[in-house]
Amino acid sequence: MEGLPASVAQRLQELTYSQRSVAYLQIDEKLSLIGSGGHLENYGLATVRVGQPVFDEVFFLQGLLPLLETPYYVPAVELVSGRVADLHLHNEGASVWVVLLDVTSERDAARRVQQKAYEMTLLQEQEAVLNRRLEAANAALLVTQRELEASRQAVLSAHEKLQRELAEAASYVRSLLPVPMVHPFAADWRFVPSAALGGDAFGYHWIDAEHFAMYLLDVCGHGVGPCLLSIAVLHLLQAGALRDVDFRNPGQLLAALNDTYQMKSNDDLYFTLWYGVYQPISRRLDFGCAGHPPAVLVDPDAGAAQLLKTKGLPIGMMPGVRYPSESLIVPQQRYLYLLSDGAFEVERADGTMMSFDEFLAMIVDPASSDASDLDHLYQTLTANRGSEALEDDFSIVRFAL
Amino acid sequence: MLGGFSVGKTSLVKRYVESIFSDSYLTTVGVKIDKKVEQLPDRVVSLVLWDLAGEDDIGSLRMSYLRGSAGYVLVADGTRRSTLQVALSLRERVEADYGAMPFVLLLNKSDLKEQWAINDAELEDLRHRGWWVRASSARTGEGVEDAFKDLAVRVTR
Repeated sequence: MEGLPASVAQRLQELTYSQRSVAYLQIDEKLSLIGSGGHLENYGLATVRVGQPVFDEVFFLQGLLPLLETPYYVPAVELVSGRVADLHLHNEGASVWVVLLDVTSERDAARRVQQKAYEMTLLQEQEAVLNRRLEAANAALLVTQRELEASRQAVLSAHEKLQRELAEAASYVRSLLPVPMVHPFAADWRFVPSAALGGDAFGYHWIDAEHFAMYLLDVCGHGVGPCLLSIAVLHLLQAGALRDVDFRNPGQLLAALNDTYQMKSNDDLYFTLWYGVYQPISRRLDFGCAGHPPAVLVDPDAGAAQLLKTKGLPIGMMPGVRYPSESLIVPQQRYLYLLSDGAFEVERADGTMMSFDEFLAMIVDPASSDASDLDHLYQTLTANRGSEALEDDFSIVRFAL
Repeated sequence: MLGGFSVGKTSLVKRYVESIFSDSYLTTVGVKIDKKVEQLPDRVVSLVLWDLAGEDDIGSLRMSYLRGSAGYVLVADGTRRSTLQVALSLRERVEADYGAMPFVLLLNKSDLKEQWAINDAELEDLRHRGWWVRASSARTGEGVEDAFKDLAVRVTR
């Protein structure tokens, strides 16, 4: 207090004593408590007993005594009472004095600031961890995205290649189909392969000067495999390449085809076929059917249709099957339609299926003046479906007999 | 009790002395002193525990708090990798000023293993150097009592 007026020094002592809750302890060289005073109750030390070993009375002084350095200062010690004290220790003669000054409010203020700073730091650390995880997740996502994009491109490329191959196959099938004819009777057709390419194929040709073959087949399934089989059968029919078979006899031909194309030796593929032989001079039509939709003989004047069908399993399902033939004399002014199931098994936009009877009505109903028009027929079917793309090949052949 | 801030030093002492745990975090300023009487197999020991404020800035550690100590508990937060570095630095600082004395390294918050950021290889390396390394959880109490008892045995040996 040197240089301070006595009054100021006195006032300072009073302020320190009252506001800092000054307390003191005095310890001798034997580490016994020999004195205490001040606001001991503030620090939970009101019951300390003078004359006792100091560590029994004030446990927190363990380690600090005997004093190795004087004065010695231990700041901001939170005691069991919850109060916080600065400890000031110094020697005087053989005694050690411990002065306790209350700094609880200062500690609390410092703690509030420190707490904010630490919480901010913790948040920043957590943010950094989250950012690293986010970056790692993003990186993994990017890798996955690239892999997906590569897979998508590969799938697209494979799809495009497949589409090209299907288009080429469809083009090849089309090249094998006969040209429309007008003499001695008219023959016309429409062939629209499905996007996935079905197994439809058809043809007509003179077997000899009097016998005219007409046929339409449908190999089960879609894609290049069924297409290849339909081409093989088409070639065989066109070439008449079955030994000891009379191609003028539908039943005999169907049985021979069945023996030749058993599904177990043809990648499980089988096919349906309608086959007829027409003799223009006598107007006799012999026909046989292997699980195929019937041909339709239409009387346009009467608006009537006759279904030409015989019993018989699809070709290839079972060996040794016999196929009956039937015949009829075709009246004048008739249309004969050969068709595949894709010509009438059309799903409408509402999910219902078009029936065969509805298809028949379209081609025989005199009220539909354009019903015999093959293009109009196809357009009507696609309009029913609500899409240009049909699920199966659309094949129809019309003869004006 | 030495270690970076918010590694759980105060919670470990509270768990050990009072057998309680609180989720709220209240930073320590200065030092908090507690006492626990520990019954060892051959003697009774009074442990006076000085829970020091966490310091990531090693230079700001008040070395006066360590005078007279017989051993120390180094604490790191297993979910925060940086706190292990702080613990290692603190230990170097203590040894430089006060020489070697018994200590145990606690990897605290073992109840948050799924967020663990310190790999076993690092801990194995420390063990090979003769360190006492333990996992602990002030929340569940895992490893707490054993760590303090181990240290009590070693400081009174």
